[in-house]
Amino acid sequence: MDKVRNQKIQKQVERWDLFARLTPTLFLLTTMVLILFDIVDLEYAFYVGLIGFAITAVSWWWWAIFTIRYLVITLARASSNLTEVNDEITIVKKELSELKDE
Amino acid sequence: MNNKSYILVKAATNIISGMSMATLIILGVLYIGFNNAFVFNNAGIAVTNNPVTGGQINFILEGSREHKCILTRVHSDAYNDDTGERFELDFARKIYIRSNDYLGSDTGEVDHQWAMPVPEGMLPGLYRVTLYSEFNCTYLLFEKTKVQMFDNISLTIE
Repeated sequence: MDKVRNQKIQKQVERWDLFARLTPTLFLLTTMVLILFDIVDLEYAFYVGLIGFAITAVSWWWWAIFTIRYLVITLARASSNLTEVNDEITIVKKELSELKDE
Repeated sequence: MNNKSYILVKAATNIISGMSMATLIILGVLYIGFNNAFVFNNAGIAVTNNPVTGGQINFILEGSREHKCILTRVHSDAYNDDTGERFELDFARKIYIRSNDYLGSDTGEVDHQWAMPVPEGMLPGLYRVTLYSEFNCTYLLFEKTKVQMFDNISLTIE
C-alpha cells in the first residue's frame, strides 16, 4: 500500500516538475503571440495569468500539505518501527549475554 | 536521449522557465503599477489672475507625471457659487502662456499655464471650476486610457 502511494507521490512530483518547467514559457510565448496579433488585449492576458497563477498556487499548496502530512506519518511509523527493532535487539543481546554467562 | 543530453535539456528548461517566470512577475508588477498610477501626481490647478477683471482667465497646472500621456479630450465647466448656473469654458480657444511640453507627453515636472476667454454671459461673482481630462497613456508595452478630474478650482469674476 505504502509502496503504491510512494510511487504515486513520485509521479506527482515529476508532473509538478514538468508543469513548472513548461508552463511559464508556454504562457509567455502564447500570450505574446496573441497580443501581437491583436487576438487578446494585455488586460485580458494579465487577468488570465493572474487566475492561472492563483489556481496553481492553491493547488500546489494543498498538494504540499497532504504530501507532507503523509511523509510525516510515514516517517513517524518508520521511526517507531526502528525503535521497536532496537528494543528487541537489546533484549536479544541481553538474553545472549545471560546464556553465555551460564 | 542519453544521460548527458537529458541533463542539458533539463538545465536549459530550468533556466528558460525561471527567466520566463521572472519576466511574467516583473511585467505583472509593472502593469499593476501603471494601471493604478494617476496621470498627474501632487498636481493642482489654480486661476492665476483671480479676481479676473479682463476677458481672459489664466490657469496654471503644476505637478509631476510618471508616464507618457497624451491629452485626448478635455472639458471644463464653471459653476456659479450662488445660483449654480453652469458655464462651459471653451478649450478650442485655449492659448498657451507657458509650457515646455505642448503635446503633454513628457514625464517629470509639469508646469503648464494657459488662458481661456471668459464665457459670454458670465456675471461677476464667485465660481467653482471643474476640469475633466482624458489621456492616452503609454508605458513600455502597456497602453491605457486614463481620466483625471480637477474640481473646486476657485474663480472670481469682477
